[in-house]
Amino acid sequence: MACIVNVEGLTKSYKNQSVLNQLNWKIEQGDVVGLLGKNGAGKSTLLKSMLNINDIESGTISIFGEQYNQLSTASKSRIGYVPQENDEISWLSVNDLINFRKQFYCTWSDEKVTELVSRWEIDLTKKISELSPGQIQRVLIILALAPMPELLIFDEPAASLDPAGRRDFLKEILALVSDESITVIFSTHITSDLERIANKVAILDKGQICYFNDLDVTKENVVQLTVHYQPEQNITIPYLLRGKKFSQGQQGIVSQLDQAWLTKMKQQAVEVTINPMGLEDIFLELTA
Amino acid sequence: MEQFIISPSSGIPIYKQLYSQIERMVLNGYFSVDQRLPSVRQVANDLNVNPMTVSKAYGLLEERGYLTRLRGKGMVVTARDNEVLQQEKFTMLDEMIKELLAQAKHMGISGHKVAQMISDNIASNQDKPEGKE
Repeated sequence: MACIVNVEGLTKSYKNQSVLNQLNWKIEQGDVVGLLGKNGAGKSTLLKSMLNINDIESGTISIFGEQYNQLSTASKSRIGYVPQENDEISWLSVNDLINFRKQFYCTWSDEKVTELVSRWEIDLTKKISELSPGQIQRVLIILALAPMPELLIFDEPAASLDPAGRRDFLKEILALVSDESITVIFSTHITSDLERIANKVAILDKGQICYFNDLDVTKENVVQLTVHYQPEQNITIPYLLRGKKFSQGQQGIVSQLDQAWLTKMKQQAVEVTINPMGLEDIFLELTA
Repeated sequence: MEQFIISPSSGIPIYKQLYSQIERMVLNGYFSVDQRLPSVRQVANDLNVNPMTVSKAYGLLEERGYLTRLRGKGMVVTARDNEVLQQEKFTMLDEMIKELLAQAKHMGISGHKVAQMISDNIASNQDKPEGKE
């Protein structure tokens, strides 16, 4: 698969506060990537840097194989972005805003706009400033989807949506990604949304993408283990993040399930119980 | 329309949840031979999950011989030897028994005691009409 986004050595700080530090990240075509990170980890900064909305200090970023700050108009029109905060002109009516934005694109689906506007019950005559945060978010999503982009970047897309709105938004994204050439990157705090739609999970921590892997592989590997053995046996669990011993063994969380070690334990008749963990727990463990 | 049940926040990957559900539904006859399964798109849309996840489960079921991909028809339940099917059922039950015995062992209960409890259960079930074989 073609590499859609390639970030190398990205460094960025605000005043003296380092946010991104020598960050590397490579995203391939067709990936649906969920980006997790604590508050203030720099998720928005990273996404904005990729889109050249932020200045960066050093590093190289390429999108569709072009340098991020010299993207051709054609490449720009292939990107859809939904910011965390509304940065649209707030005194325009929804209708005027849609028509204004439409002019910049050579591909624009009026059908998609009409369909979403009616499904999400958006009043086209209202000014942006008169809408609720949830309605604004929906308008921003419509604006991002209308040009039929190939790369979609969402910064906390579901933050202001109620559960029904979120579900509907997920459906929309799922319908999009059934076309496997479309790449989606979205940051979120809602791990259950990520679990439904993403095939990959990335964790931003301490200025770097400290974890990036297939979601299924993650759930099969980052697990809690209970190892039952006799006190005289000396067992070391590989890739242990944290653990505690008890009289009959040890319990702990590993960042990777070592198959060779599991086989060895089986041969030694040491019983290992594997308890899978949900993504929220996995995220907390990996960033502890 | 068959509705599968998934729990996205579980530690078990969604494709695996779907896989074991369909495996069971085939083994217990809920899905009969040659029955057509809902399309990947349909399941993904009903469950609000990524279609890739559903494909992965279907692919694995095909690989293990439960489903057959038919051109233009999608996935159907494979017609299989009764003997093979029986073997699959035993394998599944065997795994459940192993788990049961491991749990018993942690509680300090012997395998013999578990076997006895199973016999007792069978005996008491025989009094009830639904226990008839």
